[in-house]
Amino acid sequence: MYGSTKRTLLGFAAASALVGAMAASASAVEVKKLAVLVPEQGTDFGWNQQGVDAARAVAEKYGLEFLPAEGLGYGDVRPTLRELAGEGASLMIAHASGYNTAAPEIAAETGVPVAIVDAPDALKAGLVADYTLSGHEGAYLAGVLAATMTRTGTLGIVTSGEPPSWNSQSAAFAQGAKATKADIKLLYAVIGPAAYADAAGGRRVTETVIAAGADIVFGQGDGSSFGMIEAVETTKASDGGQAWFIDVIGDKSSIDKGFLLSSVLWNMVPVYSAMVEDLQNDAFGTRGYSIGLADDSVQLLKTSHIPDDVWATVMGVRDQIVGGSLKLEPVWDAEAVRALMNSVEIGEE
Amino acid sequence: MDAILSPAFVTALLLGAVTAGTPLLLAGLGEQIAEKAGVLNIGIEGMMLMGAYVGFVAAFTTGSFWMGFAGGAAGGVAVAVLMSILCVRLGMNQIVIGIALTLGAEGLTALLHHFQFSRSYPRLPDVPVLEIPGLAAIPVIGPVLFAHHPLVYLAVGLVVLLGWLFRRTNMGLNLEAAGQKPGALDAAGVGVIATRTWAVLTTGALAGIGGAFMATVGAGLFVPFMTGGAGFIGIVLAMLARGRPLWVMLGALLFGISLALTTAFQVAGFNIPTDVVHMLPFAMVIVVLVLFARHSVLPPALGLPYVRSDR
Repeated sequence: MYGSTKRTLLGFAAASALVGAMAASASAVEVKKLAVLVPEQGTDFGWNQQGVDAARAVAEKYGLEFLPAEGLGYGDVRPTLRELAGEGASLMIAHASGYNTAAPEIAAETGVPVAIVDAPDALKAGLVADYTLSGHEGAYLAGVLAATMTRTGTLGIVTSGEPPSWNSQSAAFAQGAKATKADIKLLYAVIGPAAYADAAGGRRVTETVIAAGADIVFGQGDGSSFGMIEAVETTKASDGGQAWFIDVIGDKSSIDKGFLLSSVLWNMVPVYSAMVEDLQNDAFGTRGYSIGLADDSVQLLKTSHIPDDVWATVMGVRDQIVGGSLKLEPVWDAEAVRALMNSVEIGEE
Repeated sequence: MDAILSPAFVTALLLGAVTAGTPLLLAGLGEQIAEKAGVLNIGIEGMMLMGAYVGFVAAFTTGSFWMGFAGGAAGGVAVAVLMSILCVRLGMNQIVIGIALTLGAEGLTALLHHFQFSRSYPRLPDVPVLEIPGLAAIPVIGPVLFAHHPLVYLAVGLVVLLGWLFRRTNMGLNLEAAGQKPGALDAAGVGVIATRTWAVLTTGALAGIGGAFMATVGAGLFVPFMTGGAGFIGIVLAMLARGRPLWVMLGALLFGISLALTTAFQVAGFNIPTDVVHMLPFAMVIVVLVLFARHSVLPPALGLPYVRSDR
């Protein structure tokens, strides 16, 4: 009797283990193909390039087939999403806030998980994840750097729009600058509501900001950022010296003519890696993703134009942020960003 | 507010207004010629964009801004040739073809830029400026009015030239007739198709030069989609102007100044939504339209293909 009971219990335990193992293998997704969709070509030294390069790197890291779809514009990407789903994509990264409506729809339709940006409330377990990224920690360091190196005591912030990610960086840049030099002047100008490709506008607005006294310009602008750089290269600061440019997201060192002071670099590899692992662990769509200084997914570019002592100061601030003694909260709202600039009494002597 | 009222700031602001307004002036004048002849040239945005690309390539390759403008004209004309064949010769729908040409130009220039410049993003050197002796030294007004690239002066001269052409020459009358009563023009022995074709090609050239100015003088580089609707603003200016070149210039200047004001408001630190600020140029154009263009009479044959057997 005892032996029979023991055999029954052992059999039950074995069966339970088997069922458990089968259940586990059934719920975890086998990731084979990684797709990324970007509105412009992945050669813009910025948002699109960083997205494509990171996705490619993650595909290589996990041995996945890489399915890039570049230059899709800002229109309807549903056909492309369906096509990629049909090609067997395990995860589709819709790398533009303009894809936030279409991508979740196609995910529901095809069952293929999607990752979207700037929609933190759109999470759906197993199907939709969000990565609203902010390089505000890096932008804070850029503000410290700019305030330390400015000759005129005036800094410019020029953006080609006011998406949340850029608002948080504009605000953090201002906070970093003010924390370093309380009487710093900040000139804030947006080229247009969505002037991402307005290079002429970027140049015009940046020239105006420089004429108003800024000798360092923190620029956020995709294609229009090249116009900002042109302005910095061809316009003298009000003290007769050269003006400097601080870029975001990508590294334009290879095309710099000696005016790029730094850049807030974004590395999306950790984010995309986490997405793949969450898919494999059946945790996709249960959390958002972020980037920061701690894992080097946000870095401040060190160029030869930055003196060593200044860099050491900036890195000291970085250590405070990473260590937690200096806490920074992202400011997403455009009105709050403008209020931050106003509090510095712009233009008043 | 010292920084805002400093001569350097005001000068930069107004210089920016002139630089932003010049491509609009050229595009608006071009559109005016096409509309006078009865062709609604919706493809002008594509012509500007092609002009911007070809103009930049020419300027970058040769090192000459003038070659850039010549290249821009050629680029604009290349798109205009398609427009004239499809709409003027074959009588296809001008709006549909215009949109198609714009989308095609956007795609083609983005593709060409990708293969040619997307790894290097070359930029032009500073713009050569013609300073009018004596006048350019006047504070603020001098640099704003008398220290520009010579093309700006030529664009202003074109306003005078077209005003004379429209009112005083047979060519102007033929253009007007092609839009008002093409059958009468035909009966008078002047080819309607030929008149409209030349009008569209001239539009393409001017729009192309406007695009080239935007890329070479305005930005110093080319990026895809950089015209950002400037061609469509040119169409609005042309309609607002009711056939008067001077009004196109005033409209373009008004738009440029409005753009400059949007920057001034922000730099001055006004905490109002930037969306509201950026409505200013468009709102001003709409207000001017409502106030002054209510009695605007468009050519009766505008947008209609001309078929000789129908007259």
